Amino acid sequence: MKAKMDRRLGRWALRPQSIPFVLLLPAILVIVFVVLFPLIFSLYTSFTPYRLTRPESLWTFIGLRNYRRIFTDLDFWIAFGRTILFLAVVINLEFLFGLLIALLINRITWGQRVLRTVMMFPMMFSPILVGFQFKFIFNDNIGVLNNALQSLGLTDQAIAWLVDGWLAMGSIAFAEIWMSTSVFAILLLAGLFAMPREPIEAARVDGCNNWQVFRHITLPFIMPFAFIAMTIRSLDVARAYDIVDVMTGGGPAGRTELLWTLIARTGYDNARMGQANAMAYVSIILSIAFTYYFFTRLVAARRYMGGAA
Amino acid sequence: MTEVRLANLTKAYGNMEVVHAIDLDIADNEFLVLVGPSGCGKSTTLRMIAGLEEITGGTIHIGDRVVNDLAPRERNVSMVFQNYALYPHMTVRENLGFGLKIAKVAEQDIGTRVTQAADILGIAELMERMPAELSGGQRQRVAMGRAIVRNPDVFLFDEPLSNLDAKLRVQMRTEIKKLHRRVENTVVYVTHDQVEAMTLADRIVIMRDGYIEQVGTPLEVFNEPANTFVGSFIGSPPMNQLDGIVRLADGDISLADGLSIPIPQRTRARLSEGQKVVVGIRPDDLAPRGHGIHDSEASAELELSVSISEPLGTETLLFTSIGGVEVQGKMLNPRMVAPDERMKFVLAVDRVHIFEAAGGRNVMIDN
Amino acid sequence: MPKRLNAVVSWVLTFLVMVIIGLPGLWVILSGFRPNREILAKPAVWVPERLSLDNFAAIFGLGDTQVAIPVANYFANSLVIAVTSTVIAIAIGMSGGYAFARFRFRFKNGVFLGLMLSRTVPGIALSLPVFMVWSRIGLIDTQFGLILVYVALNIPFTIWLIDGFFRQIPKELSEAGQVDGCTRWQAFWRIEFPLARSGIASAAIFAFLTSWNEYALASNLTRSTDSKTLPVGLMDFTAQFTIDWAGMCAMAVIIIVPALALTFLVQKHLIAGLTFGGVKG
Repeated sequence: MKAKMDRRLGRWALRPQSIPFVLLLPAILVIVFVVLFPLIFSLYTSFTPYRLTRPESLWTFIGLRNYRRIFTDLDFWIAFGRTILFLAVVINLEFLFGLLIALLINRITWGQRVLRTVMMFPMMFSPILVGFQFKFIFNDNIGVLNNALQSLGLTDQAIAWLVDGWLAMGSIAFAEIWMSTSVFAILLLAGLFAMPREPIEAARVDGCNNWQVFRHITLPFIMPFAFIAMTIRSLDVARAYDIVDVMTGGGPAGRTELLWTLIARTGYDNARMGQANAMAYVSIILSIAFTYYFFTRLVAARRYMGGAA
Repeated sequence: MTEVRLANLTKAYGNMEVVHAIDLDIADNEFLVLVGPSGCGKSTTLRMIAGLEEITGGTIHIGDRVVNDLAPRERNVSMVFQNYALYPHMTVRENLGFGLKIAKVAEQDIGTRVTQAADILGIAELMERMPAELSGGQRQRVAMGRAIVRNPDVFLFDEPLSNLDAKLRVQMRTEIKKLHRRVENTVVYVTHDQVEAMTLADRIVIMRDGYIEQVGTPLEVFNEPANTFVGSFIGSPPMNQLDGIVRLADGDISLADGLSIPIPQRTRARLSEGQKVVVGIRPDDLAPRGHGIHDSEASAELELSVSISEPLGTETLLFTSIGGVEVQGKMLNPRMVAPDERMKFVLAVDRVHIFEAAGGRNVMIDN
Repeated sequence: MPKRLNAVVSWVLTFLVMVIIGLPGLWVILSGFRPNREILAKPAVWVPERLSLDNFAAIFGLGDTQVAIPVANYFANSLVIAVTSTVIAIAIGMSGGYAFARFRFRFKNGVFLGLMLSRTVPGIALSLPVFMVWSRIGLIDTQFGLILVYVALNIPFTIWLIDGFFRQIPKELSEAGQVDGCTRWQAFWRIEFPLARSGIASAAIFAFLTSWNEYALASNLTRSTDSKTLPVGLMDFTAQFTIDWAGMCAMAVIIIVPALALTFLVQKHLIAGLTFGGVKG
C-alpha cells in the first residue's frame, strides 16, 4: 500500500507541471508548520479562557467572550489608539525626513556612495539595540543627552526623558524614526537616481519653476518608491515592540503601552493566553491592513506611472 | 544525413492552441526559413524542434529518430538566440567550448575545435574577452561560433539579426549564407523580416496564426502567392490589393471609380461571371508609360492622380488611390512629379494576381 | 553667490543628518571601551582617559571582574542559530524563488501572497501560538525550536529577493545551456547560479541579520543558556539591581559589529533587490 503510494508520489513529482510545486514544497511546509498551524491553534484558543497555569482551561469553549472583553476594555482601546497614532505619526515623519535626506544627497555631487552606506547602518541595527542605545542616551542620570544639555548650560536639572509619559513616547518615536528613516531615504534616492532627465527638461521648457517641477514631475515619479518603503516598513511595524520593551517596558504606568507590549503582558506576565491571542489577532489584522493599504497604493502608483519605473 | 520532419505538430497553452497541426519536411542541408508576423507560431515551432517547448500533439523527427520526448541536449541541435544568450560569466573561449566541456570532450580536442570555429568566424583575437566587452556584431559571431563548434545535426536560428543595426544586419546576412555553404548543415531559421527570408532561404515557410500559409522557394512565393496574406507579406513595397467584380462578357474586372482591367489570360478559365475577387498588383507592375519594368507585356492603361511621390534615386514610389484604397506604383528612370499630377499608368496585366474575395485564395492554386 | 550659499547649506544639513545617524551608535561603541565609573561619573567625563578591552574580557568571563551573565554562551547560541537558519532559509528560498522566477503554474499569485502575508504577522503575535505549540512538543528553549522559527521568518523575504535576482537573468541562458548539452539541473548550477550568486549572498546576509537581531520571538521562546541569544541576553543586564552600562555597551558592540560589517558588503545588492522587487512586481 505504502509502496504504491510512494510510486504514485514519485511519478507525480517527476511530471513537468509538478516541478514548481516540488520546488516550493519546503517553503510551504515550513510556513504551514511554523505560522499557519500555530495561528489556527491560537485562533481556537482565543475562543477559550486558556491560562498557562490551568491547562484544562484549553478545552472550555467560551465563544466570543475574549473579544467582547477586550473590546470593552478601556486599556486595550487606549493602547490600540496609541499604536495607530504612533504609527501614523512615525511613518509620516519617516517619509518626510527620508524625502528631505534623499533630495539633499541627490544634490550633493561628491561622496554620495559613502553617505548612502552610512545611511544603511540603522536599517541593520537590531531594534533591541536601537532601544538600548537610546535608553542609554536618554537616561536622565548618566545619559549623554542630559549631560550635554547640562554642560552647555541649557538646563540645570536632569530631564526625565523616559519617565514622563509624553517625553517617553517622544523618545520612543525618535528611536523608531532614527531606525527606519533610512529605508525611505535609500529607496527615494534610488528613485531619484532612476528618474529620467527628459520629463524634467520638458517641464522646464513648458515653463515650470523648481517647485512645480518637483511637485508635478519628480514627486509622482518617486512615489512608487515611497510606497515600496512603506510596504517593507509595514511588514515589520511590530518591531516597535522591541524598542518599547527595552526602553520603558510599557511604563511609566502604562503610558507607553502599545498593542504589542499589551499582548506580551497579558499572555506571558498574566498568563492569560486566550485573551492575549484574541488581541494578537487584532494586531495581525492591523498589520495586514497596513501592508495591504500600502501595497494597493504601490500598485496604483505604478499603474498611474504607466510602468515608467 | 539529417532531415527534420514535423507531422501534425500542435502546441497549446491550456485551451489556447497556438500551432495547429502543421506538417513540414525539411531536407538534409536545406536552409529553411520560417517567416511571419509576430505571434504566428514560428518561434514556438522552432522551440519545439529545439526541445525548449513541450509538444502538445504530433511528432518531430530529426534524422530517423522521433525526438518528442528527448531533452534539448539529446537532440544534437544548436541554437542561436535573438539576444545571443552568451554566458556573461564566461570568456568567449569558455562560451565556445562550454557545450564540448559538458559533453566531456578531451581538453585538446576542445582547444582545436574552438580555434577552428573562431577562425571561421574571424573572432580569434576576441577569445579572452567577456561578452560584455563585445559589440553587437561580435556577440552575434560568438553566438554562431558556439553553435557550429559542436557540429550539430541541425542549426536553429531564432531571429538572430533583429538586434543589429540595419547595415550590420545586411553584412551578417551574407555571412550566415557563406557559413551555411561552408558547414553544410540543415538550418531552420526564424525571422519576421521577409527580405531576410527571401535572401537566405532555400525554401520559405510563411506562417500566420499558427497555420502554414505557403511553402516554396523565394521565387515561388513571390511569383505565385497562395493567398492575399502571402501576397501582401512577401515583397516590398507590399502588393496593392483591390476589390473587383469579374465581367466575363466584357473580358474585364471592374474596380472602383469606374476603372477596370482586362482579365489576365491564364486566370480566365478559373473565373465565373459576377465573381467577387481581390486583384493583387505589385508596385513593380504599375508604372507611368515609359518608366516601367514590364512595359512590353500585355498591358492596360489606367489614368490616376499622384498624391505623393517618394524619390529613391534609381526609382520613385508613386502614391495614388483607387476607390479610396491607397495604391503604390513604381517609376524607373524617374523624372520630377508635380503634386496631384494626373499620369497614365501602364499595368502589366499578366503579372496581376487574382484572389477569391472570400478566403483570399489565389485562383490559380488548387486546394 | 546664492548658488554657493545653497551648496554650503546642503553640506551643513547633510553633515547634521549624518551626525544624527552616526553619533548614537558611535557613542555606544565608545562607551563599550570605557570603564563603568567613567560612564557613571558626575559631572560627565567627555574625553575618555583610557580605552580598554576590559569590558569585553569581563563579559566573556576572562578578566578579573566576573560578570554573572554567560555572554559567551549567548554568543555561541546566536551564531549557531543565525548561521543554521540562514543556510536552511537560503536553500529553501532558492528553490522557491527559482520556481516563482521561471515557472508558470496554477495559484502562483495566491501562493506568493500567502507567503508574503505570513511575514506580516507581528513577532509577538506569532510568539504566543508558537510558544503553546512548542511547549507541547518540547521545542521551547532549544536551538532547533528557534532555528525553525527563523527559517519561517526568513523564507518570504528570501524568496522575494532571490526571485528578483533570477528574473534578471534571461531565461535564454539556461535554454542555451540545455541546447548545449546540459540537463536542466546542470544548466542551473553552471549558468544561472553563478550569475545570481552575489545576489543570493546578499539575501543570505540579510537573512543572517534578521536572525541575529531578532528579539520578540527569542525573548519568549528561550529561557536558559541552552538557547538564549545575544539580544535576549542584553536584557539580562537591565534585570539586575544596578545596570552595568559598560558591560551592556560592550555586548552591544558585539551585536553591532557583524551587522555593520555585513551591511557594508551587501548594500549595493540590497538596494537593487529591494527596488526591482518592488517596482517590477
